[in-house]
Amino acid sequence: MDPDRELVTAAAAGSREAFDELVRRHRAAIVTLVGVLTGGRDGADDLAQEVFVRAWRSLPGFRGESTFRTWLHRVAVNLVRTSQVREGRMRRLFAWPSPEETFDPPAPGEPIDASLARREAIQRALASLPAELRVPVTLRDVQGLEYKEIASLLKVPIGTVESRIFRARQRLKPLLEPLWKTNRNS
Amino acid sequence: MEDEQELVAAVLRSMPPADADGGFVARVNARIDAAPGWLGLADFRAWTLGLAPAACALALVAVFWQAPSSASAPALAPASASASAPASAVFSPASSTDWQKDVSADALLEAALAPEGKQP
Repeated sequence: MDPDRELVTAAAAGSREAFDELVRRHRAAIVTLVGVLTGGRDGADDLAQEVFVRAWRSLPGFRGESTFRTWLHRVAVNLVRTSQVREGRMRRLFAWPSPEETFDPPAPGEPIDASLARREAIQRALASLPAELRVPVTLRDVQGLEYKEIASLLKVPIGTVESRIFRARQRLKPLLEPLWKTNRNS
Repeated sequence: MEDEQELVAAVLRSMPPADADGGFVARVNARIDAAPGWLGLADFRAWTLGLAPAACALALVAVFWQAPSSASAPALAPASASASAPASAVFSPASSTDWQKDVSADALLEAALAPEGKQP
């Protein structure tokens, strides 16, 4: 049962109030997702807004085969992917340097329990992964989607999703170790 | 191994959500309401989609216009041709001079230019 169903029906019929409520419900998740998928670069907020604009325009075609939340995540993943492809083309065309995606683990004295610093540290660790690992592990562990939902969203078999998430966590382990030690201490 | 996987997952789950300020909804609404602007005029997809119904209507008109006119064309042709075209343009090969091998060029020209019904 989709908790957003009534709002989605009203929004698809043209209710902007209903759509505003949907934006309010999902904005934090989408801003987080887009932030992680873009490696926290500038323009993530812009892209997150664009996700909702696309969602509004595509809402009449939403058939409810998945929950609105999963569908919105699909819109976001596709939009980020398209924007990265476009950005990659521009980089090649104008020979811009690629942004560095190296991980700089937080120093022992760094206040990693502070909310902002913690988010940035996790975001940087995720940004160091290749997209094929970053997307499924973010959808599973940060966004809380089910394996089945991720498989349908990414159009890959569920076994592929499981193995990618497994590999992603393995690669993240040394990078996030300082954070889980903080988790244990707190 | 499973424990480590779970630990990583727990750290990721603890990631604080990004702050989306109160103006986020207003900015989304402003984008939805925004007119496409001058750049929108250069969007060939919008043009293609916008003009598609007109193109379909024109194609249908062309098809239906052609169908009856091609059906009635043989019946109308002689009447319209004789009414509008000059006599010289309605050259008929039915004249006997046209088929004679030894006819002179002048005679052939005279036959072609002579008004209908006065051919030799």
